[in-house]
Amino acid sequence: MWLLRGLFLLLALAPPFAPPALAQPLITLVGEGLRAEGDGPHFPQDSRAQRVTLPDDWARSRPAAGSPVWYRVAFTLPAAPQALSAVQIARACASFELRLNGHLLHRSGRMTEPYTLDCDRPHLVSLPPALLRTGENVLDLRLVGYPLAAVAARSRAAALSPLAIGPLEPLQARQRLQATLQMRLPQALGATLLLTGGFMFVLGFLNRRESHLAYFGALSVGWALLDAQLWVQQWPLPHAAVELMLAALLPLLAWAAVQFLLRYAHWRHRAIDLALPLQALLMPSTLLAAGPQRLHGPVLAWSALLALEVAAAALFYLQRQWRERSPSFWLMGALLLVVAICGGVDLAAQFTHLPELAQALSRLALPLMLVLVGLRLVQQHSLARQQAEVSRTLLEQRVREAAAEIERNFRQLAELKVEQVTERERKRIAADLHDDLGAKLLTIVHTSESDRISTLAREALEEMRLSVRGLTGRAVRLADALGDWRAEVVSRLAQAGIETDWSAPEDLPQTLSARAYVQTTRILREATSNIIKHSGASLCAVHCQVRDGDFQLVVRDNGEGISSEPDGRLDRGHGMATMKQRAKQLQGQCLIESGPGFGTVIRLTLPLERALELP
Amino acid sequence: MKNILLLEDLPEIRAWLRKLVLQVFPTAQIAEGARVADALALVTAVKFDLALVDLGLPDGSGVDVVTKLRDVQPECQSVVVTIHDDDEHLFPALQAGAFGYILKEQPRELITEQLQRISQGEPPLSPSIARRVMAHFASTAKPRADATLINVSLTERESEVLLRVAKGYTLPEIGVQLGLSRHTIADYVKQIYRKLNVSSRAEAALEAQRLGLFGR
Repeated sequence: MWLLRGLFLLLALAPPFAPPALAQPLITLVGEGLRAEGDGPHFPQDSRAQRVTLPDDWARSRPAAGSPVWYRVAFTLPAAPQALSAVQIARACASFELRLNGHLLHRSGRMTEPYTLDCDRPHLVSLPPALLRTGENVLDLRLVGYPLAAVAARSRAAALSPLAIGPLEPLQARQRLQATLQMRLPQALGATLLLTGGFMFVLGFLNRRESHLAYFGALSVGWALLDAQLWVQQWPLPHAAVELMLAALLPLLAWAAVQFLLRYAHWRHRAIDLALPLQALLMPSTLLAAGPQRLHGPVLAWSALLALEVAAAALFYLQRQWRERSPSFWLMGALLLVVAICGGVDLAAQFTHLPELAQALSRLALPLMLVLVGLRLVQQHSLARQQAEVSRTLLEQRVREAAAEIERNFRQLAELKVEQVTERERKRIAADLHDDLGAKLLTIVHTSESDRISTLAREALEEMRLSVRGLTGRAVRLADALGDWRAEVVSRLAQAGIETDWSAPEDLPQTLSARAYVQTTRILREATSNIIKHSGASLCAVHCQVRDGDFQLVVRDNGEGISSEPDGRLDRGHGMATMKQRAKQLQGQCLIESGPGFGTVIRLTLPLERALELP
Repeated sequence: MKNILLLEDLPEIRAWLRKLVLQVFPTAQIAEGARVADALALVTAVKFDLALVDLGLPDGSGVDVVTKLRDVQPECQSVVVTIHDDDEHLFPALQAGAFGYILKEQPRELITEQLQRISQGEPPLSPSIARRVMAHFASTAKPRADATLINVSLTERESEVLLRVAKGYTLPEIGVQLGLSRHTIADYVKQIYRKLNVSSRAEAALEAQRLGLFGR
């Protein structure tokens, strides 16, 4: 929760940097004092004291020495103050002891080695009214710390900022601002970096194709570790080891940064992959060789080199993006530019004195940029994921479609196969019928002494053939069917000496199912047989037409007609019932009108569509 | 008619056919066979004037015999005697060179009449066979790349006759309609059968050549 609040603070409080307390006229900013070397419990009372201006940076004022120093600052109180007074110190590195008019007031950190490197924490010490005197008061401050040469970064070298003395309240405001700038914001950023960095490291580690994420995560985590001094001031290790460890982090950071930029630009090189870890090993060894007391110089040199490497990688990355016309060129360019400026400020601060605010801001901006780049990466990653999701969905859909297609094809194939098998089976049955049944019937036809049996066998043979045809046959064009029927009816009637008047329309596009064709053939054949055998007619008129989707066939003869029996049945073994039955099977009907002396009329009506549908 | 080949696997039917043939051609010498192999052997040995060939035989199809006869004895008339009346079965035999067909179950009188007609050069032609012939010539009428093959096509009159047969008109009716004698119509039909055979052979040769080209 505090992390979120920290992040919120970072975003909400970062811009308004107008320092409200600095302008407070009530506060006295003491920039001058006395300094004397000494390790005793009190300000040394000899003449070795010399005047100094605060801030006093040991690196400048006494570069070689590392021994404790006493500072004496005097201030006057015109009258007994109404409000509580206090002294506020922006920066006292590393540990100090504060005495007011000779009385010990406050102690911050360890006064013996290893000192507590709590350099970024501002201090606010209230001055007890009982110890304050009207007129001149003396503040003695004993400072211990490490010389610049013995630390990796200038920010950890011993120094004392000006002392602000005044009423407690405005000093509290000043304290809050400095604490926010120097402690809380960096802490919040560090925590954010640790978290996002860790997250992205895992992400990149799991997604080997997005290795740049892993490097970026490593960079963020490393940066957060570099700022670990904000959290842990007292390491259970010798100072030299801590400094070496911190310094050793730098090439690792550079490794991560360079690799991140290169991988992000989709480029990798074996030599670089190898050189960067080697460098990370080489740097601590050179530092070890230099010794703990001459740390700063080599670290500075190395830092410059590492900064150059990162800058080169950044330029390479930007050039790639520019060439690819990538939209992230401007965003990443701006972010990297800020990083470069901050790096420049940091580097400059190692050599010259820069305003505290500028240093604090640059120290804040760097991790902030890292967080922003991290957010950008997360955004890109999730966009890519989304895209992958979309394309996966598309792919899935396509696969589904293809599967459906295959299934459909397979089904069609199976159906076709079934059809083929059925067709083959039908042909086999048909052949069997012809060969066995047909042969036997044929033998009966030609060997039977009885005409009646011959005729019956012949009819059975014809029936069998028609059945086979219905079994195997395809749909027949109506025009072709009419041709077949005409040829049969006319030639049969002609042989019997009966004249035929056949009328049918030309060019009929409709088709009949094999079944309808066969059944109609049978009906017509039966009707023709009846006329030849029973009617005694001399003329037969056959009229065909297609009307209202129905096929109509009318067979009319001028014969004797069929006389009604007393029981009213028309059928007298003439197959009339069978004819009707057959028409019914085709969803049609067969009407027979007949009367003695009036001939016979057979009206067959078949619905063409249904006749088509039938198998 | 002197030498007649009778190829039929059913003994009763063969005997019956023999009687029938002797009725029509009392002086004929009849060589009988029950299998394709018998017939092929006979064909190389004896010269026939007429061959009655059943299609469905135990060791193959009568079509092979028709083909062989057409090859070695082109002046012999092959007539298919079959139980199959559909063009599916008949057409290949006609393409192979059969000069007509007789349906076995028809009454004796009808068969003798048909046999007489065929021997006099009046082969039967059913509507479905006519349609198949028309379809055959329609498919071969397409222009060919190789002009070496004889391009057989029907004359206008022949086509006219075929079309009318397909519509169900009997040959005498067509004769009346076209104002032609029964003999002329029969000649047309004979011509159609002949052309069907020639065209089919050309077709087969073309197919063989094509396969040969591919096989090479």
